[in-house]
Amino acid sequence: MNLRNRPRGPWVYVAVTAVLAAVVAAWAVPELREHGWLVFGQSSSGPGAPLPSLSPDLFLFPQAAQIILLAVGIGVLVQIYSTAYLGHHPRYRSYALIIVLFLVAMIAVVGTTNLWVLLVGWEVMGVCSYLLIGHEWQTAEARSGAAKAFLVTRVADLGLVMAIIVIGATYGTYDINGAQAGALQDPKNGTLIGLLVLLAVVGKSAQFPLHSWLPDAMPGPTPITALIHAATMVAAGVYLAARLFPLYADSEVVLTSMAVIAAITMLMGALFALAQTDLKRALAWSTVSQLALMFAAVSVGLAESGLDHLVAHGVFKALLFLGCGCLMHAVGSSSLSAMGGLRRAMPVTFWTMTIGFAALAGVVPTVGFFTKDSVLAAIDFATEVENGPLPNGMAWVLLVVALLTTFVTAAYATRLWLLAFFGPVREARDAHEAPRTMTGPLIVLAVATFALSIGKHLDARIGVISTIVAALGIGAVVALWRRGSALGPAPAPLVSELGLDRPFSRWIPAVVTSLSRLVVDLDRDAVDVYPRGGASLVGLASNGLQMAQSRNVQRYATAIALGVVVLVVIGVVAT
Amino acid sequence: MSLLYPLLLSSALFGIGLYGVLARRNAVLMLLGVELMLNAVNLNLVAFDAWFADQLHTGQVLTLFTIAVAAAEIGLGLAIVLALFRAVRTVDVDEVGR
Repeated sequence: MNLRNRPRGPWVYVAVTAVLAAVVAAWAVPELREHGWLVFGQSSSGPGAPLPSLSPDLFLFPQAAQIILLAVGIGVLVQIYSTAYLGHHPRYRSYALIIVLFLVAMIAVVGTTNLWVLLVGWEVMGVCSYLLIGHEWQTAEARSGAAKAFLVTRVADLGLVMAIIVIGATYGTYDINGAQAGALQDPKNGTLIGLLVLLAVVGKSAQFPLHSWLPDAMPGPTPITALIHAATMVAAGVYLAARLFPLYADSEVVLTSMAVIAAITMLMGALFALAQTDLKRALAWSTVSQLALMFAAVSVGLAESGLDHLVAHGVFKALLFLGCGCLMHAVGSSSLSAMGGLRRAMPVTFWTMTIGFAALAGVVPTVGFFTKDSVLAAIDFATEVENGPLPNGMAWVLLVVALLTTFVTAAYATRLWLLAFFGPVREARDAHEAPRTMTGPLIVLAVATFALSIGKHLDARIGVISTIVAALGIGAVVALWRRGSALGPAPAPLVSELGLDRPFSRWIPAVVTSLSRLVVDLDRDAVDVYPRGGASLVGLASNGLQMAQSRNVQRYATAIALGVVVLVVIGVVAT
Repeated sequence: MSLLYPLLLSSALFGIGLYGVLARRNAVLMLLGVELMLNAVNLNLVAFDAWFADQLHTGQVLTLFTIAVAAAEIGLGLAIVLALFRAVRTVDVDEVGR
């Protein structure tokens, strides 16, 4: 067994994470049984409580408990995985500890009912993701990716801060349950709150137009990518949108914008994932697309199914990213052109990732199929319901786009699967299976991908439709593959991601640079004139005074004598 | 005797002494200028002592005191000048300052 050869150090951090997970589980599991979805008035502070209440009230409802369990569970698996993946890295200690901090922040965000505590957790997560994405800070991509992730989510954080202030001003409490109780009686400022929350979650969960930081965060270590994509960072955005949903549920503007953003993002992310030549980046775009599906569920008013899909997605996306890490471990690169024909060399990775891709594509009976089915059913319901929060037309658009996305998702999942595991063996002739500490988490997650689907509700009509659509997508790609097409270069606009990153990579830096130049010039030529003028005046005066300092004692004595004479004359004249 | 004459004499002495201190470049002569100014002051003291007809003769006592201090001062000054001369082979203050 591999463990014996390895220094004991890394396992300490696994143990710390496991203890954290156990504590959280002991607290979350009973809550899962007791409470229903969104129970109001459980907290001590209702509307009218004294304003800055920083009580760390903790309160859970089933989905939140599930998300917390997901976060700590994946956290433990990621730590175990990292002992093999990064255990010998010189900065492993800080890496492992930041993961623990990351998890604690996520627990704070999900578990608290206080908006300020939530904000603290939210910001700590931003810092942690910055630190972890920039773990390999000796490379330029890691530094710029980390900075981009931090800055883009920072912009979005402004939305959250303002939303919290508006909520406090509107309902007189910073307690989420209190505000929701107030909103049930008399909803106010729904549009404003909703738009601000939307800004916050769009940035945190990498939705259009603030999506580009997530694919650019790929230089981070792969276990971290799994953590960010599955359990913590981006999940927090969806969770917040769902948690605060009652506060803006009556606002058509907010729900329509959210639906539009979700529709654009889900199709865009899927198409970009289809065009990628890099496995990790393709999976990142796939996360963007899947998160949009969750926002679609929130926008039609069924946040519950969105959160279900979040948990399911967390499991299979962590599986895919960790599997991707195994492939990178074997091949030495995340480029698809370096992979191919790996199914014989790496059987465990192959089978577990097959399950992951199946869940991504929505194949029965994986959990991805059931939760996607419930999201689609929710959207379908919104197309028929009268006086729903979302206009029926918009719901139709959303449904069509979601089905299209299902098709593209199945296609790119199949494409990635074929390119990585089938076809001729390319560069990696001596590829071998990853150590057991890395394949173990994969097996656990693969089992969970099936286990979570037990007892899930199924809308048969939508299920059949989505299965047909997904089968078409898979079939199309397999047919192309059979015909000998290398599934190679995609249309150029897709590869270049439609130039959507240009505002972030070119324009905004250009504007900021020219603005800062202007500020520097102003500072130098306008503001600095005064202090510099003062300095040169003093200089002139000192030059003048220097002439009096002749180093000739007799001149000083002459000056003293003349001074005395002058004083005497003045004295005489004055008297 | 009028107070005017001794005062005129002491003013003249003081002026000559001041001139010596300010204008002369020779350190010894500068010291002599200082002595002249001191003695102008002594003359003033004695003159005013006589003018006020002071029973305690404060002015004369102070004059003796000043003479003693001046003797000490000139001794110290000449010692410095001597040391200076030994060090730089000149007593010209401009040369020394350079």
